[in-house]
Amino acid sequence: MAEPLVKNEFFSHGTYECNNMPATRRFLVDFLGLDIVRPLKEAQYMWKGGSWSVVCVCVQDGDAKEQGPQNHFKLSVASDADVDAARAAALAHKDDYGIKRVFDIEETDGHRSFKLLDLNNTWWEISTVSQAYYDEVFARGDARA
Amino acid sequence: MNMQIKPGAASPHVKTQSLICGTLVTTDLKRARRMYEDVLDMECVEPARGLMYVREKGHRPGEPKHGKPYWVLEVRQAPEINVPQEMLNHWGFEAPSQAAVDEAFAKVTANKAEYGIVRLQKPFFRNGSYAIYMTDMDSNWWEVEYRTPDLIYTALREKGDQFAD
Repeated sequence: MAEPLVKNEFFSHGTYECNNMPATRRFLVDFLGLDIVRPLKEAQYMWKGGSWSVVCVCVQDGDAKEQGPQNHFKLSVASDADVDAARAAALAHKDDYGIKRVFDIEETDGHRSFKLLDLNNTWWEISTVSQAYYDEVFARGDARA
Repeated sequence: MNMQIKPGAASPHVKTQSLICGTLVTTDLKRARRMYEDVLDMECVEPARGLMYVREKGHRPGEPKHGKPYWVLEVRQAPEINVPQEMLNHWGFEAPSQAAVDEAFAKVTANKAEYGIVRLQKPFFRNGSYAIYMTDMDSNWWEVEYRTPDLIYTALREKGDQFAD
């Protein structure tokens, strides 16, 4: 098809459910190190390092949906040591931040990472993956079988 | 009312540099790629079997967004969708105008079956956004919205918190 059906300017946001705004904000800011602003009573927007945001919507009438590890957000950190320190912190402060599960460290394609399940049943991956890695992958193009 | 911008914590436990990626699944990478490229105008690459990365267009050398950071979707092929997604688990795009949202609605409506669009909602206003939502065959939700310049996400960051707990 010559022209796409949708003309978009940019990829602007993803979404995340919560049911306790203050506790969620504390986890996102103090634990994960994200920036956040609350423009609406029922939603706060988080971001880090780019123009896109993740919209955190408060579910008033029950628990946030339980996601599987295959649907998660990925955070980039600078070094293997930062991944290890983040995992150690997740284990040490699990109860304080409502962290429900902490997976083991993995090494994939040269990137060190681990996943955790947060207070809102959403999975996060802390990884050394970087924009430079994605630049390289897109520049290389499809791997042909 | 501009309360105050609450910056990130001075010393968070995770030394996050970037919220860099979101992940999702499909039961058919080929079908998903066709939809992402032809409908949503995204750039896709498959570096390995069963894995695809997706970003907005314009980041190749010489293109208008080259050098700017971008958000990546990591899409993996799975035998089934274990956790079907819902409206509050969507991915969103900014359209250049309200007319562009209407145009997208008309074009997607005319091509729904061809691209496996399961559900398409009519354009509507909510919280300053004029948007359509559509779902694909993997239960993923996609939003195409227009926001006036003062309501785009980066502008809202500048305004700071408008509500307290």
